[in-house]
Amino acid sequence: MEDLTSYPNTTHGRSSAVPEPSDEALLGRFADGDAAVARLLTGRLGPRSYSLALRMLGNRAEAEDVTQEAMMRLWKMAPDWVPGQAQLSTWLYRVTLNLCVDLRRKKRPDALENVAEPEDGTASVVDRMQDTARKDALQNALQQLPDRQRQAVVLRHIEELSNPEIAGIMDISVEAVESLTARGKRSLTAILAGRRDELGYEHG
Amino acid sequence: MNWGTNMADQDKELDQLFAQAREARDVFPDHLAVRIETDAEAIRLTRAVPAKRRTWRQRMRGIGGWQGLGGLVAASAAGVWIGFSAPTFLPDPVVYFTSQETTYLMADLNLDEYYLEDAE
Repeated sequence: MEDLTSYPNTTHGRSSAVPEPSDEALLGRFADGDAAVARLLTGRLGPRSYSLALRMLGNRAEAEDVTQEAMMRLWKMAPDWVPGQAQLSTWLYRVTLNLCVDLRRKKRPDALENVAEPEDGTASVVDRMQDTARKDALQNALQQLPDRQRQAVVLRHIEELSNPEIAGIMDISVEAVESLTARGKRSLTAILAGRRDELGYEHG
Repeated sequence: MNWGTNMADQDKELDQLFAQAREARDVFPDHLAVRIETDAEAIRLTRAVPAKRRTWRQRMRGIGGWQGLGGLVAASAAGVWIGFSAPTFLPDPVVYFTSQETTYLMADLNLDEYYLEDAE
């Protein structure tokens, strides 16, 4: 797992105070051949896909590949997008999640619950894992959640989406989102408390 | 980090971890942006190649598609046929432009008189 807090700041942040065309309008212009809007859409949507993929996978290189593929699918489907059908960000979040799940299944088809364990028993590996986990204890715990719980928790508490939005992305009811989020938070609390000694934290 | 021992403390600390994660969220590598924009341009150029076909289709839509084109051909053929085999009871319009009678007809109008009346 990587330290996810030390990535350099860039000019592709999502915040902007100037009113601009909607994502859907920009996609329509891209479909009509407007080359300039690709940069705008990349700046708006790329960080969202990347942030989600990074939290889902805990690996920068994989998150970049997933984001690139998700955006590639966005460019390809641009002419077929039906305005008003859904928010473009919802579509992109869903594609990103699906790509993350596919990637994790390809890598570890039968060991999704043990992703944070060291691969061997050498002291150097344990030390390295402890150091990494201390830097990002939350990411370490997130990696141990079942996929659906991790998706709901990340979308709700890191991406700060509303429950109806998450329901649309995950194609489930709002009640199911609330249930997944609550179970995910309980699991995280238990994992973090249980790993307190293992990670070398002092008792508080 | 000191992980709390009761539920309230643990919830609060979990919320703090979420807040830290959100602060670290809004970063995006430039080289990834370049990769994505390169993909976008490649897709855009791929679509730009069959532009002639789209233009031809647009022209077809402009005249009403295949039905419109069929009607246009039928009307043109009918016009040619009428031109070569007009019914006998219809005057031949060519005569108005070629025969001397046309000149007489125009002369009978006495346009000069009208012009004079207007002048008065």
